[in-house]
Amino acid sequence: MRDRPDAEFLLARAREAVARGEGGELVARARAIAERECAAGDAPVERFRQALAERYGEGGIELLLRRLVAEIRSGAADTPGPVQAALRRLLWRMTRQKLAESNPGYLAAADAGRVPRK
Amino acid sequence: MIVADLARYLAHTTAARSVSVSELRRLPNGAVQENWLLAARFEGGWLAGDRELVLRTDAATTLGIGLSRAVEFQVLRAVRAAGVAVPEPVLLCEDSGVVGRPFFLMRFVAGEAQGERIVSGELGGDRGTLIARLASELARLHAVRPPLRGLEGLAPPPADPARARIEECTRWLAEDGEPHPVAELGLRWLIRHAPPPAPPALCHGDFRTGNFLADPEGFTALLDWEFAGWGDPDADLGWFCLGSWRFGAYAREAGGIAPRDAFYRAYQAASGRAVDAGRVRWWEVMAALRWLVLALRQRDRCLVGGERSLDLALTGRRPAECEFEILALTEAA
Repeated sequence: MRDRPDAEFLLARAREAVARGEGGELVARARAIAERECAAGDAPVERFRQALAERYGEGGIELLLRRLVAEIRSGAADTPGPVQAALRRLLWRMTRQKLAESNPGYLAAADAGRVPRK
Repeated sequence: MIVADLARYLAHTTAARSVSVSELRRLPNGAVQENWLLAARFEGGWLAGDRELVLRTDAATTLGIGLSRAVEFQVLRAVRAAGVAVPEPVLLCEDSGVVGRPFFLMRFVAGEAQGERIVSGELGGDRGTLIARLASELARLHAVRPPLRGLEGLAPPPADPARARIEECTRWLAEDGEPHPVAELGLRWLIRHAPPPAPPALCHGDFRTGNFLADPEGFTALLDWEFAGWGDPDADLGWFCLGSWRFGAYAREAGGIAPRDAFYRAYQAASGRAVDAGRVRWWEVMAALRWLVLALRQRDRCLVGGERSLDLALTGRRPAECEFEILALTEAA
């Protein structure tokens, strides 16, 4: 569920940037992502995996995400109704969780600033 | 970069007796291309005098898409001739032997491009004037229609720009191989709501806050033409409004600078073309999907290609922004 690269990779690139004497703001961002993910551990991914497993049966996160993709490709989310609503709830949950770790500033700004569409 | 080789080449090409380089330093920004400030004294020749130039060349690894420096140079010439405010292109060198890769030179234009400083108001001057200026530059660009002599290096206009983009994103998603359910939802929405083709125009392809220069008084120049091409002009409007390019000023939907309506009105006044909000919305969803897949490709330059860049690694964490936009823009539609 989490996007790559993982926290370890980000920290390795951040250390290299520090060694080159560059990247103040980028280094801070990489460290903050890694800290948030380390603090949360695997729990957010596992909770989302369980939500998917309720719909698609047991399996690892990647397998279950592929089942979600397959259902979307089948057109199940194309038309308004309970299936579309259920799928969109899952997608929002995943997206908000990823943003909360990768870019909480974006999530806060977007939640505060969304302009109702005409 | 070997300065002596560059100075020799410049002297030869500009018919100068000699060229002495006093400064050559990499400018910030530019993950896909590198920009170097080149300060030099040209003794004689057609560039005689003290010159501040920008040398633009490919980065060490590239996305594998976008224009070559030679074609980008053609575009810069064409849009400058059309009255778009861009740095004046000076010369093109396609010989990789001089600095290791092809490059072109353009005249230095003062200003900075940092999105945060532009949306905060520190750069760019009065908001209403800035958005009107950006809209009028875009309108001038979109007045360039195919075919145009000097732009033979561009791919011909696609018969259906929306379908062409859908096919491109479908291919890139398949190449990535990982499951991206929100991107798949966006793709299906785009397929089902694709607008009919509009007359093609020259499009910037990356028209957004962060890709123009501004000083405290206002706009100075439009940069980064590597994704230019013939297409649907509404694609530039949608890309400009994407949440990712508002730099935290999320409620000002036009690039973090102004309300969306103000931008549409200014573009309409400058271009004489009515803005169809539904079409622009389609292109904004496409912008979210395209930026998502481009971010995956940028990320792969360090995950797969081995480029040791923290900036590229962090780009791998940006698809979630695009997913937010796809979900928000396709709500109840």
